[in-house]
Amino acid sequence: MFFSLYTISLLNQKSIDLLNFLPPLAQMWTEVRTILPSTMDDFIIEFSEKIEPSVLKVLELARDQLYSRPDCPSSAETAQIIIDYSWENLNTGTWRDVDKEWRRMYSYGCLFKVLSLCNGDPSQAKVKEAIKTCDMGLLMGAAIMDNILQRLVCILKNTMKLKSTKVEKSEEPCSKKMKWECVSEPVINPARAVPRIQCPSLERFRSDFLDPQKPTIIEGIINHWPAFTEHPWSIDYLRSVAGCRTVPIEVGSKYTDEEWSQKLITVNEFIDGYILGTEEKGVGYLAQHQLFDQIPELKEDIRIPDYCCLGEGEEDDITINAWFGPGGTVSPLHQDPQQNFLAQVVGRKYIRLYSPEVTENLYPHDSQLLHNTSQVEVENPDLVKFPEFPKASYEECVLQPGDVLFIPVQHWHYVRSLELSFSVSFWWS
Amino acid sequence: MDHNEKLARGQSLSKYFVLYYVLACQEGERMNWFGFGFNGFGQIIAADVKCKVSTPVLLSDARGSDCRVSGSWSSRAAVIHTDSGSRVCVSGFLRGSSGQVCVPESEGCTDASISERHVTVSFTRRVECWEIQQAQNRLVWSREQESSGQDVALPLVPGGYVVPRPPFFRPLCAKLCAVSLALGTEHAVLLTASGTVFTWGSGSHGQLGHGHLTSQEEAQVVEALWGVQIAAVSAGGWHSASVSAGGDLYMWGWNESGQLGLPSQSVEEEKLRARRPVNQAEEKNKDDVFISIQAFPALVDIPQVSEIIRVACGSRHTAAVTGTGDLYTWGWGSYGQLGHDTERSTDEPALVKYFHSHDMRVRDVVCGLWNTYVSAVPEEPSSHKHTHTE
Repeated sequence: MFFSLYTISLLNQKSIDLLNFLPPLAQMWTEVRTILPSTMDDFIIEFSEKIEPSVLKVLELARDQLYSRPDCPSSAETAQIIIDYSWENLNTGTWRDVDKEWRRMYSYGCLFKVLSLCNGDPSQAKVKEAIKTCDMGLLMGAAIMDNILQRLVCILKNTMKLKSTKVEKSEEPCSKKMKWECVSEPVINPARAVPRIQCPSLERFRSDFLDPQKPTIIEGIINHWPAFTEHPWSIDYLRSVAGCRTVPIEVGSKYTDEEWSQKLITVNEFIDGYILGTEEKGVGYLAQHQLFDQIPELKEDIRIPDYCCLGEGEEDDITINAWFGPGGTVSPLHQDPQQNFLAQVVGRKYIRLYSPEVTENLYPHDSQLLHNTSQVEVENPDLVKFPEFPKASYEECVLQPGDVLFIPVQHWHYVRSLELSFSVSFWWS
Repeated sequence: MDHNEKLARGQSLSKYFVLYYVLACQEGERMNWFGFGFNGFGQIIAADVKCKVSTPVLLSDARGSDCRVSGSWSSRAAVIHTDSGSRVCVSGFLRGSSGQVCVPESEGCTDASISERHVTVSFTRRVECWEIQQAQNRLVWSREQESSGQDVALPLVPGGYVVPRPPFFRPLCAKLCAVSLALGTEHAVLLTASGTVFTWGSGSHGQLGHGHLTSQEEAQVVEALWGVQIAAVSAGGWHSASVSAGGDLYMWGWNESGQLGLPSQSVEEEKLRARRPVNQAEEKNKDDVFISIQAFPALVDIPQVSEIIRVACGSRHTAAVTGTGDLYTWGWGSYGQLGHDTERSTDEPALVKYFHSHDMRVRDVVCGLWNTYVSAVPEEPSSHKHTHTE
């Protein structure tokens, strides 16, 4: 009875304040409503000339429908048209060249889809789909309306918490065994060990390591992170904070393989399938992903190392990436265009470093796409194809939880996880 | 059977009398165009009752053998020939809303091609590009040209080809002897008089067919087809197709929705979701091989089809006409653009039953981004069919 009153009241009316007509069950919709512009006229849509008037028309239709008939059955369809058309434009050209306008359009599409899912009293499945849709907008779109998708996902997550009374199968703690990899435990040659230093002063770090561009492991500077203290990072903690969130996963032993691919799955699915799961799924790695932009709650658990202030760039320009995966993940030998602090939070990693001076012995790929990546398999080199490789001198280490490895810009590095591992990298200039 | 015998037989089968007579004399006038797929702007059915049309619908304004149809995302253009001349009529998104209107500036045109904001019109001695989304149609570019001996279709024009953005005219080397050109979203597929295929543009999804993902600025031969005489080419969003003189279909490029007729992971996942397995974590068969990108031409095999004569590509779907007048479609189907009365995508070419069950012989096919337009004529009832009426 409540729903039919609700619908009839809203027909043929624009700019209505929806709060007056809500059935008591639609609590989440109330919350969602408060973060939307209060009237249609306040909902401003602005795009450059590059966006075709046809798709703009669909966007305006979606907005008009939201304020006049929010429960309109075709609103999901309208949103999907925007998503599908902008998705095709996102796949046109290289990712770097994609016009930001199309990414914004994609975010609008996701917004309207989420709103059509949230209407009324949505089932848990719909809320999950809405969270996934928010994530797609956050991952592939560009911020709109003061990052409304981020605010929406917070509301949705809280609703999920209230709705899930029984523990889902995937949340049963510890009933699944951790994958035990037969990972080879490397023995570090002391002559080649990366030097370690305890809490150096800014000056000391600059003069001894940054200016001469020497790798080092800094100890004792991240132990105060909430990730070690108030909220020690564990599988259960990550599930509770980010379990339903969709993230990009790399599948395949390394990105230079033909079989390598990326897929978008939830953190729960990643943990179940690639960390606790059976062997058959292959190696999966949540790698090089700006997880902390997507999930601000996790960003609270880490801190930017003070030494980054020695650089010329702004703090906002520092790229923070998450690296989360089981034992056996491999990043092939490669170099990056910025300075890097690699902070180890969970588990251990074997890392080998080569100076840019020995680049010619490392056989970088010819192609433009992979010219920053070596062709050599560091721990199993083909010495017939790459005879000069053994000539290249290197340093190595096993990075432990609490360590921060300084990788100077353009310094070649190879990384293999020895067990379940979570690292955080800071790229700065 | 000679003409008189046909007439006599026709007279004894009242339902088919008119058909026989007309077929014998004036097939062209019985040709109709049908459309299916995305109709969000009324580009198929003028009254936009629904935004997805998943079985073929007659295009009321497009008939006659001279009629040419082209489609963009939001609109469709038809070159209509009447006794008073030819003109372009546009259905779909026009000047801010959905409608159907003729372009007066196109009187006397020979060919037309539509894109999101423009319609390109060729006349005997010139080609023009009109912007049609403002209050007044605006000529943005034109070029005088020698009337070529060869009748080439847009976007080819004498000396090169036309695109709806600056620089509008792109020259083509005369030595190429281009007879047909298909423009995809960011690549081009060209067919020469000798049956050779050249491609250029973005190679990011293997759509150039050279076996790698590098983009090319200059036209390059598709070497894998060397030695095969190609009769027709088509280009979609990120995929390409070519039909050989012998009736074989070769495709290459992106297969993310099965548009190449090769196994697609997303199509498989859609099937699994539709079946709603009890065990949510059901593993796929590990032996399943899916192809996302096919960088070399691959032969598309359609069971029970011996000859393909036409092919057309949308953004992520493909349509092909067989020698026996059947239409097969495959690829992305979310907007009904496959014409199978469903919104499912498929990676296996499937017959569009509509034409077959309505006794029609498909002649040609053209795709908009998310739709398919088909020209068909009434079929002569074959000796295999029962001749009594229903």
